[in-house]
Amino acid sequence: MQSLSRRRAQNAVLAYVVVIASTIFFILPMLWIAYTSFRTQASIFSGAVLSPLSEYTLQNYETIFSVTDFPQYFWNSIQIGAIVTLFSLVVSIIGAYGLSRFSLPGKNALIIGIFSTQMFPQVLLIIPMYLVVVNLQLLDQVVGVVLGQLILVLPFQIWMLKGYFDNLPPDLDDAARIDGTNILQRLLYVILPVAAPGIAVAAFFSFVVSWGDYLIVSIISQSERTATVTLIMQRLSASLLIRWGQVAAVAVLTIVPTIILFSIVQRRLVEGLTAGAVREE
Amino acid sequence: MNVSESKAVARRARWLPTLKEDQQGRLLILPAVIIMAIFTVYPLLAGLWTALTDQNLLRNEVNFVGLANFQRMVADPVFWQTLEHSIVLTTVVVALQVVLGLILAWAMQQNLPGIGLFKSFVMASWVIPVAATVTIFKFMAQPDIGFINILLKAIGLGSFNRYWFGDLTFALPFIMLLHLWRNVPFYGIAFLAAMNAIPKNYYEAAEIDGAGAWARFRHITLPGIRSMMVVMVTIHVLWTFNNFDFVWLATGGGPVNTTEVLPTYVYRQSWSNYDLGYAASMGTVMLVILMIYFIIYLRITERQAA
Repeated sequence: MQSLSRRRAQNAVLAYVVVIASTIFFILPMLWIAYTSFRTQASIFSGAVLSPLSEYTLQNYETIFSVTDFPQYFWNSIQIGAIVTLFSLVVSIIGAYGLSRFSLPGKNALIIGIFSTQMFPQVLLIIPMYLVVVNLQLLDQVVGVVLGQLILVLPFQIWMLKGYFDNLPPDLDDAARIDGTNILQRLLYVILPVAAPGIAVAAFFSFVVSWGDYLIVSIISQSERTATVTLIMQRLSASLLIRWGQVAAVAVLTIVPTIILFSIVQRRLVEGLTAGAVREE
Repeated sequence: MNVSESKAVARRARWLPTLKEDQQGRLLILPAVIIMAIFTVYPLLAGLWTALTDQNLLRNEVNFVGLANFQRMVADPVFWQTLEHSIVLTTVVVALQVVLGLILAWAMQQNLPGIGLFKSFVMASWVIPVAATVTIFKFMAQPDIGFINILLKAIGLGSFNRYWFGDLTFALPFIMLLHLWRNVPFYGIAFLAAMNAIPKNYYEAAEIDGAGAWARFRHITLPGIRSMMVVMVTIHVLWTFNNFDFVWLATGGGPVNTTEVLPTYVYRQSWSNYDLGYAASMGTVMLVILMIYFIIYLRITERQAA
């Protein structure tokens, strides 16, 4: 059986090559931008990888906080992300629970219909949406951005949570029903605690989508009142003389919140995201 | 609790039990259905209608023009170019993601020391905003000061020094690279989850029967992760084909339309030329293409379920 153990060793070596190459490819770019955010313009433009110690600086962060409107944009992003997350969670939790536990004529068609909205081109939807937002006088309003972003979030979130609820044993509901609870009580006190990991992933999904959204914000936002971090990042890196140190600092500050949230839900992420697809038997 | 609230609760308490459970369940679905109707179904129908008009944000009057926008589209060489880019980009990106995702999943399954740590951070590229991803890679692709060109110079390929997103040949492959960078780890982790659910004794039995590595992959692994694969591919075909951010933020469709895809072309017609009618007609074509794809997907999953 020597050939077998040799094959195992070969596999291990090959797997290490894949893992190390992946680490470099997927992680190095993020570290590189973080590194750049601490360098001076001169140091970056020297074209060298390392610079003398005196050329590392916090100036880029100081500048974007004191000179630019970045703090305002950052706050806008948090505000919009939080409202989108809360609102979409309430709607998708009760909707997904209803779809998962109760009969409804044409339910399968409705579920496929909800999923199939994923194929609607967003660039097409935003044309009438823009006109609706203008008519409601919500242009350049936080509420307008929130309503637009719900389109991006809701269908997938409902589909995902419905799959998650489907995998929870119906005995839970039945036992509680016998105890005389109504639907909302069962959802709140029986299902929600058990489904917390799935709901955390759903919350994470909607926040990250809202935080990273450029499309909706770019047409509804007209001023710094509603502009978000993705907008300022695009503007900074499109300017004539690019201050790469400052752009890098903005990128880091935009990335960090998503990475922090990711580290919380990380272990549950894939299980939650693909719950709509996988049926546990 | 104030007076009106307690009244509301009392009212609800009175009528709730009079509805059957199933009817109450339907009420729960109502908010989602209403919101989706207002914000996806209505915009879709209105968008399809706009495609038959000459609506322009610079004019107040809107005329029904029938299929004129579609006639204009057929004669528009840029439209055909962007259609080709969209289809090539989606096909190449999703195919490579599946292959690379499988390789990554295989490597993670080998139980190497430290693999747990690797699994915990490898999906980071998927969670950061696309705008940040684009910024990172735009900086790395800068001539002279970008990491890619520094690296090329270090290994003696300094003659390749260029802004990669501004290159007629390499801009589109670089857009594809961005898609891979973002999504391959998601595929890897998802495939790994599906692989781990395959009973180990299948493999042991196959090995006793003398099945080689390829045969085991073909007859055990592939069927085991098939449903996960179908879902991942379906979602990503829709998401990649509809993706606007990568191209718009990285190149804006340039240089000279070499990276222009349907979503960015529709966006440009809508919000740079204000030509909503023409934009909507191309959006309609995007929808039709995805519908054809989606019908094929439903056929496949139905056959699977049967």
